Amino acid sequence: MKDRVLKIVSQVLNVPIELLNEESSPDTVASWDSLKHMNLILALEEEFGIQFRDEQIVEILKVGLIIEAVKEFTAA
Amino acid sequence: MAVNMGKETYAHIQEQLNQADLSAMPGLSLSVLRNIMIEPIEPYLRYHAYLMGYNAVVSFGEYDNIFQEAAGGDDRLLNRQTDCVLVFAYLDTLSPDLARGFSALNPEQAAAEVNRVQDFAEAVIRGIRAQTKGLILWHGLEISGHPNLGIWDSQIDTGQTAVIHRLNDFIRDLLRREANACFVDMNLALIRIGAGNFYDRRYWHIGRAPYTREALAEIADEDFKFIRPLKGKNKKCLVLDCDNTLWGGIIGEDGLSGIVLGKTYPGSAYSEFQREIVNLYHRGIIIALCSKNNEPDVWEVFRKHPDMILKEEHISAVRINWNDKAANLRGLASDLNIGLDSMVFLDDSEFEINLVKKELPEVAAILMPKGKAVEYRQMLASCGLFDTLTISEEDKHRGAMYKAEASRKSLLTQATDMEGYYRSLEMVVVIRLADEFSIPRIAQQTQKTNQFNLTTRRYTEADIRSFVTHPDYDVFYLDLKDRFGGSGIVGTCILKYEQDRAIIDTFLLSCRVLGRGVEEAFLSRALKRAKGQGCRTTVGEYLPTAKNGQVAEFYPKHGFTEVNPGNSAGHRVFHFDLQMEPGSEPAYFKEIVSDL
Repeated sequence: MKDRVLKIVSQVLNVPIELLNEESSPDTVASWDSLKHMNLILALEEEFGIQFRDEQIVEILKVGLIIEAVKEFTAA
Repeated sequence: MAVNMGKETYAHIQEQLNQADLSAMPGLSLSVLRNIMIEPIEPYLRYHAYLMGYNAVVSFGEYDNIFQEAAGGDDRLLNRQTDCVLVFAYLDTLSPDLARGFSALNPEQAAAEVNRVQDFAEAVIRGIRAQTKGLILWHGLEISGHPNLGIWDSQIDTGQTAVIHRLNDFIRDLLRREANACFVDMNLALIRIGAGNFYDRRYWHIGRAPYTREALAEIADEDFKFIRPLKGKNKKCLVLDCDNTLWGGIIGEDGLSGIVLGKTYPGSAYSEFQREIVNLYHRGIIIALCSKNNEPDVWEVFRKHPDMILKEEHISAVRINWNDKAANLRGLASDLNIGLDSMVFLDDSEFEINLVKKELPEVAAILMPKGKAVEYRQMLASCGLFDTLTISEEDKHRGAMYKAEASRKSLLTQATDMEGYYRSLEMVVVIRLADEFSIPRIAQQTQKTNQFNLTTRRYTEADIRSFVTHPDYDVFYLDLKDRFGGSGIVGTCILKYEQDRAIIDTFLLSCRVLGRGVEEAFLSRALKRAKGQGCRTTVGEYLPTAKNGQVAEFYPKHGFTEVNPGNSAGHRVFHFDLQMEPGSEPAYFKEIVSDL
């Protein structure tokens, strides 16, 4: 699951997957701005067939947090 | 192909765009004016452009600055390079009262809001047009499934829904009066996927982005139905397999009474599908057959089956034999004088579809899934590949024209010499200066003609109109009739005068009239016109494209001399000295009528 998240982040932000880890965030990835974050949410929701809660959308600004949020839906 | 885009995930589309070498493709400049956040549509727009062979650059205006950028001017967004301007004027931002507080408005307040929105639209359209000739795509207002007045809204003609419809009508009228401006009906996209899938309330509240990913994909699909014909990338010909495509079963085995076709299930699915094909025929799409059958069996179905809606008269060309379908499609393209990339091929056989995809990737090959005939009509109706920006009178008669072309070909096989054949056609050529009636067709010709086109310059109606009124330009067209019927406007020539030279900016002929000496008559009249305007030299250019190889030698063949041969880009320039007599016109025309 972590790999699938990393792959989506890499594709949407157009960043090599090797440069990404759980600590990656808008502070470490230049192309991760608020607009690309919206694209990222759309792609993640499609990939995992989930819908984040509205407050999650604005909170999951780090790969590790995204993985946690996705886990919450896929574990249930 | 657009038809497959629904299956591509959002991340995968972005991945493909990241990997693709877009730099080699021609550019497509899209500018977005909006009062909502709509940036996530960008990958879909760029992907559609990529499938069309273009590298799209999408520029977004500032949030809720439509009026400022359109009326005030913005050279970054609106300029001579702009191919298309997409306007998203969302009602919730434009008029929160009309969108969300309608029942609180008294009639005067509602009227004032409507006026304000109308003035806004008028100023924005005028402002955009003052800055660019590019295609304007105005995304209309959406109606709500839950109007503010509830069920009462549907009982009165002053309700919220009625007001929104009237605003849309008003905007549509404004756009109709503008050249190269179209109304995108957002309610169509909304109906197709449903309001529940269209809006994302979370991002509306977080970031003023109202649409879901599905909605954005659907809107981009709709937009490219307009952008493809703008770039001449719309499909012109539908090629059909017969068994298990036009009817259920195999005519060679099941026989006329055994095939599945009729008014009730399961034959009704094929009838509906055929009706949709006939719709396309009446929009000017050429219909052809390509099937592995004994030819007489197929014609027996067309002539004798009582439930055939598609008739022999709708079919312009056929390849019914046991040869491979890629070869047959090539044959059809040559019969019809059209490019393979303007063909769509439908077949229920995975083998045939894969063969065509491999051998002829430029053909759009679509698999009609076995056992799902009930979906066939919808598949064809939703593909969006055949859309044109207008449906002209010419288009409605195109099927008949191609039918006439087939009759000409059969006469040709009887004729012993070409000259005698041409005479027997009793051709009447009319060459006239462009007028208000011919401008739309002339613009359409410059957009659609690929093969017999010396310069392939694409012009909008507005461009052509500006040439017509400009003293340094002449625009004239050629219209052809013969004993089998009229072909309509089939040739366009644009001359640009510079001192004592006439430059042939555009010289093109529709492929369906090639091989009849029409080009000689047309060129000769163009040269006479240039001479009559006091010119000493006529300059002809050849700008090579992937499609127009057949006219590379057109000018030298007609007495022009090449200047500076060996130009690297293949761009060739020729001169014709107007002291010389233009080549003689063929004597086999029944009549040449001209006001030049």
